[in-house]
Amino acid sequence: MNSHDVTVTGYLVVLAAGVTLQLLSRRPGSKIPSLGAIITAAMSSRTLRVAILVGWAWLGLHFFAR
Amino acid sequence: MREETATRTRSGHMIALLRGLREPVVVILLLIAYFTAASGKPLDGLLMAIAAVCLAWDAGHRLRQAGQSGIDLDQAYADPGAEGPATSAAPPLSRRRRATVATAWLTAAVSYVLVVGSFIRYSWPATAAVLGLGSVVVVTGWRGPRRPRPRPVKPSRAGVLLWLAVILAGCLWELQALLQQPTLLASSYPHPTISTLTDPVLAGWAGRSALLAVWLLFGWFLVER
Repeated sequence: MNSHDVTVTGYLVVLAAGVTLQLLSRRPGSKIPSLGAIITAAMSSRTLRVAILVGWAWLGLHFFAR
Repeated sequence: MREETATRTRSGHMIALLRGLREPVVVILLLIAYFTAASGKPLDGLLMAIAAVCLAWDAGHRLRQAGQSGIDLDQAYADPGAEGPATSAAPPLSRRRRATVATAWLTAAVSYVLVVGSFIRYSWPATAAVLGLGSVVVVTGWRGPRRPRPRPVKPSRAGVLLWLAVILAGCLWELQALLQQPTLLASSYPHPTISTLTDPVLAGWAGRSALLAVWLLFGWFLVER
């Protein structure tokens, strides 16, 4: 396994952890909130709402713009 | 007298800005701005820094107002019925009108994805299109939710910490890959960042359009919260 594979595996592990948490949050009576619930709660604060929207805009600029 | 008032106002703005700069989320945005600029995207970094400073100023002022009035401004913001941004409840639309509005939005979104996806990556037309939409969404979002909504249920602390751990792990993994590149401007095959891994997908029109659609959907999801 070379460095490239290790790095990609790291991303996949993080992604798998996120998917697992999301699936666990779907179980009835789960104490784990879904990512959507966390984002919804965070959007109640003006500072966090704007920061999340700025983060979204940054993603678009990062991948498509100069 | 007027000069004294102006000086007091200026110092008030400065104090608000400094207070807002201590907000953790502002610090995070400034760090992202720094690394973005350092990795060869000065415009992206500059815009992020401007947004972070505006947010710091706004957060500082709100903290000051909350201190003076004793009102929980975020609660008022989340529940506009009480106080805060005037997002008045519009009368419900008829089914036909709803279908027309939904079709118009869908047509606009598909046109945007197809047209902007056809632009060469990192070109000025692509930059203008993404920057324009991003600015509109951020400025609109600053005013508050699009429509009144009940205050959401507060998620458990343990659950939030679990999600934060996963997100932080992802950010740190990306950062270690970035720092192991030969330079911040040169991508590395042994230590690819997410941008490097998505380069082949974004090289073609179809891939760009698909990722633009995902970006738009995510933006729509956020705006609707």
